This record gives sequence, C-alpha cells and structure tokens, in this order.
Amino acid sequence: MRNYQPAKLLRLHFTERDRYQGKPLYEAIVQKCLELKIAGATVFRGVEGYGDTAEIHRSRMLMQDAPIVIQIVETEENIRRLLPIVEEMLDRGLIAISDVEIARIQKTARSPA
Amino acid sequence: MLSKGSAKKVTIYLNEDTQRHLTPLYESLLAFLVHKGVSGATVTRALAGFGAHKVIHTPKVEALAEHLPVRVEFIETADKVDELLPTLYDMVTDGLIEVQDTTVVKIANKDKRREEIKQPHERKAGKAKMMRIYLGEADHWNGEPLYDVIIKRLRMIDVAGATVYRGILGYGVKGHTHKQNLLHTSRDLPIMISVVESEEKLTQAAEVVEEMLQDGLIVVSDVEMVRLVHAQPAEEPKR
Repeated sequence: MRNYQPAKLLRLHFTERDRYQGKPLYEAIVQKCLELKIAGATVFRGVEGYGDTAEIHRSRMLMQDAPIVIQIVETEENIRRLLPIVEEMLDRGLIAISDVEIARIQKTARSPA
Repeated sequence: MLSKGSAKKVTIYLNEDTQRHLTPLYESLLAFLVHKGVSGATVTRALAGFGAHKVIHTPKVEALAEHLPVRVEFIETADKVDELLPTLYDMVTDGLIEVQDTTVVKIANKDKRREEIKQPHERKAGKAKMMRIYLGEADHWNGEPLYDVIIKRLRMIDVAGATVYRGILGYGVKGHTHKQNLLHTSRDLPIMISVVESEEKLTQAAEVVEEMLQDGLIVVSDVEMVRLVHAQPAEEPKR
C-alpha cells in the first residue's frame, strides 16, 4: 500500500437552483476554486433530496432543482483558506468537513496545456 | 463446505458398463458423493478412448458401443477429499482415480440467495473505512471503461459493495474541467466510486485500485457503518 497523507474532505450541499451573480452556484464555486488554485473539485447532481426546509428537491420538467454536492479534497490549510469565501457565496446550504487520508496517483505524463 | 480458494479436483475414469452391485458403477459413485454431501459432481461420457485393457472403445463398433469411457469429476476441499478417497479407492474396481490441485474462483448459488431474501433483517453496526476513488469517465483499461473494470475487480475480491457516481462538472489532476453542456455531450465527466468496507478488506481493495488507476485520487476516511443484512441461514450440521 502506498503512503497515504492526511487531508480534509469538504462537502458543500445546496441545490441546482441556487445562483451566484447570475450563474449557477456550482459553476461559480468551481470557478473560484480554480482561481484559488485548489487541487480539484467535483460536482455531483443528486436524484432527489431534502434539507433544512424539508422541501423536496428534484428536477422537474420546467424547474431544475436537484440537490447538488461539491466535493473538494485538499490540505487543511487550503480548505481553511477556501472556507470563508465559500461561506460568503453560499446563501443557504450545508458545509461538512471530514478527516481523510489520500493517495494521489499520476502515472501518465501531464500533457502540455 | 467448499469455498473460494485452493481445493482438490478428483477425476475418476471408468467404463460405462462397469457394474457394482448390479448398478452402473458411476451411478453408485454419484449416490455415494451425494450421500457424503459433496458440493457437486459431473459425469461425462466420452466419444472414444482406451484404457488398461488396450481396447479402443468407440460407438462405431456396435458390440462395444455400451462400453464407452465415462468420467466422474468433482471438486472439494482437501480435507473432504482425504475423507472420501479410501472409500472411492475401494469402490473403483476397474478404472483410474486422479487427484489434482485446483483453485475455485467463483461459487454462485442462486437458489440459496432467493431463500435468504425471505429472512428478516439483521442490523450490524461498527467502525469501518470508506474509500472514494476519483477518476475520469474517459479513463480506460484494456479498452473497457476503467470504472467498470474497477467495479468488476472489486466484486471478484468479495468487496461488500461499491457505487459509481457521475459528476456534472469538475477538475482535478489533469487540470482540465470536465463539463457537460447542451450542445456537445462530454464523454469525460468526473467519476467517483465509493466503497465501504472493513479496514483489512479496504487495504486490499486500495492496492488493487492503485495498480489500475492511471491518474486519479484515492481518499480514505473512517466511518461508522450501520448495515442491514439478511440473517445467515444456520450452518448445516457436519456429517
């Protein structure tokens, strides 16, 4: 087994309907992560869910309202740096942080951008 | 009980018309194996052959058509085979017994599973580990999607469960954003596979994944697991 490094996993829960300065919130957050040189971020769209308001979130024909989860794995330092910015962007939602151990795998040479 | 891993394969070569107590010997052998609770046995009839008597047994020679070779095969644990061999040795008066080492890769029992479904749930709770594997949908392994291959491999090593999620947007080790838009459907969306297992099993699974993953991230964390399983049927009394 490889050497696993301690890190943090940040999960942001909100919905597809949430927006930030006119564009979808998840796009805005990923954009912000890129700007802040966060190692990676992945957005998942749930099938159905509910949260604080007990209102069922689901994509309907005319309204995109599915639950969204963004997962970010980074060092504790970078997560702490990102948190206040994300907190400010998130209007309503949930932030969860957990301790994880990670192994980054990169066997192929990175192609020049 | 036969399980995955090393086992013994016993092959007995006979003539179809070899008798024992007025019944064909292969039938007596099968009856004996069933009685002893052997997991399974197969009798196959050959097209042609010859043995110690140096007579070629083939259906073309009418007089010898009833004299074709048959083969009785079964696979069992080494202990069970040791237990059965002395009796088999005694029973096979005309023929040949062969034992070889083998490896059982899969035992599937559909009927048993169906029975289990009817049984009540059992709650199992405790500490476990969770592994998240981040990769891309376009990653391939010998021509097959990598997430597919990882799932198959995990199932083969008896990992309890794994789920594949497809993200709608993301970036990571490759530095480019994976995004799906209306006009062109991206074939390289982010993929995450999550696995919950005991620490020991998860370490084994991680090693398998590390070997297959070209570019990606493996994230392991401690979790509290509550698992609802179907109660195992009481083990059969040993014979």
